[in-house]
Amino acid sequence: MNPSSSSLFGKLLAGRGSRQGLWLLPLVIALAMALWLAAATSQFGQWSNLANLVAQGMPLLITAVGQMFVVLVGGLDLSIGSVVSFTTAILALDLPGVITLPGVFLLAALIGATNGYCITRLNVHPIVATLSMQYVVLGITRVLRPVSGGAVPDGVRWMVEGTFLGLPLPVFWGIATILLAWKLLYGSRYGLHLFAIGGGVASGSSDAARNFGIPASRNIMLAYVICSLFAALAGVFLAGRIVSGDPNVGLLMELDAITAVAIGGTQLSGGVGSLHGTIIGVAVLALLSNGMNLLNVTPFVQTAVKGVLLLAVVALQSRKKIGL
Amino acid sequence: MSAFVSSPLFRRISKVPPSYYLLAALLVILFVARPQMLNANVLGVFVRQVVPLGILVLGQLLVMRVKSIDLSGGGIILLINYCISSGIFPGASLGFYVALALATGLAIGLFNGLMVAKRRVSAVIVTLALSIVLVGFVQYLSSGKPPGDVPKIFGELFNTRFIGLPSPVLFWIALTALMALLLSQTVFGRFVAAVGESMPAAHFSGVPVERTVILAHTLAGLMAALAALVQTASIAVGSVRVGLDLPILSVAATILGGVVFGRGEGGVWGPFFGVLCFAFLFVVMTMFGVGDAGKLVAQGLIILLAAIFYGLRAGK
Repeated sequence: MNPSSSSLFGKLLAGRGSRQGLWLLPLVIALAMALWLAAATSQFGQWSNLANLVAQGMPLLITAVGQMFVVLVGGLDLSIGSVVSFTTAILALDLPGVITLPGVFLLAALIGATNGYCITRLNVHPIVATLSMQYVVLGITRVLRPVSGGAVPDGVRWMVEGTFLGLPLPVFWGIATILLAWKLLYGSRYGLHLFAIGGGVASGSSDAARNFGIPASRNIMLAYVICSLFAALAGVFLAGRIVSGDPNVGLLMELDAITAVAIGGTQLSGGVGSLHGTIIGVAVLALLSNGMNLLNVTPFVQTAVKGVLLLAVVALQSRKKIGL
Repeated sequence: MSAFVSSPLFRRISKVPPSYYLLAALLVILFVARPQMLNANVLGVFVRQVVPLGILVLGQLLVMRVKSIDLSGGGIILLINYCISSGIFPGASLGFYVALALATGLAIGLFNGLMVAKRRVSAVIVTLALSIVLVGFVQYLSSGKPPGDVPKIFGELFNTRFIGLPSPVLFWIALTALMALLLSQTVFGRFVAAVGESMPAAHFSGVPVERTVILAHTLAGLMAALAALVQTASIAVGSVRVGLDLPILSVAATILGGVVFGRGEGGVWGPFFGVLCFAFLFVVMTMFGVGDAGKLVAQGLIILLAAIFYGLRAGK
């Protein structure tokens, strides 16, 4: 069915047989976009625009990196958009930041653990479990804060708006996110286990990893906790940027995160993907929206182009599984 | 807990889709609290509102039976609504619009099916991406502003009644019966069950797996087109936001009806009652003064409990 070409093209451009998936083509797309934007508009290369690009893309980067962890084990988390909104709502409660800041991460971990428990122990499909969690968390958020408002602790605001070593702080949020994910994925036994579990799930035998002594349920649960924690981190960042709580700020963010992860070559059947691919996927989406704004293209065309790009990139990735 | 799960009582209880229990409970609550609401006229109006969702569910359950998913329904509904309400086909007849809608749904469904079964792309991504493209396309065409009015004939058809029931509801029931026949009486129905059970086993038994998946997606596209026609008739004006939450809701109603990815104990009527549950759930909660936020929480918990109910059984 799928021509198993072992040519250089097949290996590099289509990412065949690779554990990292197809990431070279998206990288070429991202670089081409950046070069073209730099040539076509004078504002793109300006310092303020680049700082803006990083700050705008940061919530997507943080959520996409989290999403990648669950996608690698063949899962999906649709609840992260709600977790982001929920986090901003908690931070905008009239409470000192010493309580709310650890609180949001604790609650996010609880949400992630519930997702993971339902999926691994109660045998609920990830789409179903996280979809219901999305409704529940969004409902609670709207009780806490029906419309946007409230004030976020000054510390949170400073963490996003300030500068350090002459660079805007969002840059450091990005570096910290990437380093943390790198350590988890490539610098620990846990990351290796994730790829092993995902590979087993993708090949249709979910027991494969367990037969090698890897505790699959526990590791999958941890992946959902990590995903929720990253979503909470994105929520803290956004709260610092909008300086209030907003029940709708995270709306549809989960779909953007999945889009970025998929563009970066991580396959939804699990086991294949990479951190640099996800970062490239985020860069493609961020450049797309930034570039179209600079070129004064209506946001509606942006949406359509994003969809076409996603279709084109995933159509090039080959896998065996039919379905989800 | 595990003793209870493996007990004969639980096995018998869990044979029946959760939607049956929930619907019975909701009707009892309605009967106790507002007996005057339990007549065909009032209920007909409530049920009429969920007909587009109900038709979309017929397609969704088909693709979920073959371990796939279709999230492109929202885009299809938006596109067809735009074609009808924007007046880009001046003077077109009802028949033309119906043909246009069906052709659109068929083409999009076929595309989904080919991408999922032949190109082997993740169904979540393909149908999601297609929905993004369609939504962006419609918003671009309309510059984000609501298009014009829907031709009057749609509204008139929507408001007709036969033997005391609103005709959209009858249409929905007829379609559901057709789908039930398709799944129980035809070879295609057998293929769907076999593919859902195990794709490799179906393949080695000579079941055309790819063709079955393609056909399931094509039919889902067709159902989305029919849902779009009813939805357009029901709101009578054009909109650039209509129907966007329907695909996700249709997944939820299907699960409530006892059909999960690959397994279809709930048949076709389970999800049918799942949709009715959503209709009455909102009525009951509005009656007790539960706000939108509370409705979201209740909706999420009900879907989760229904899925856990099924998951426990599958785990045994």
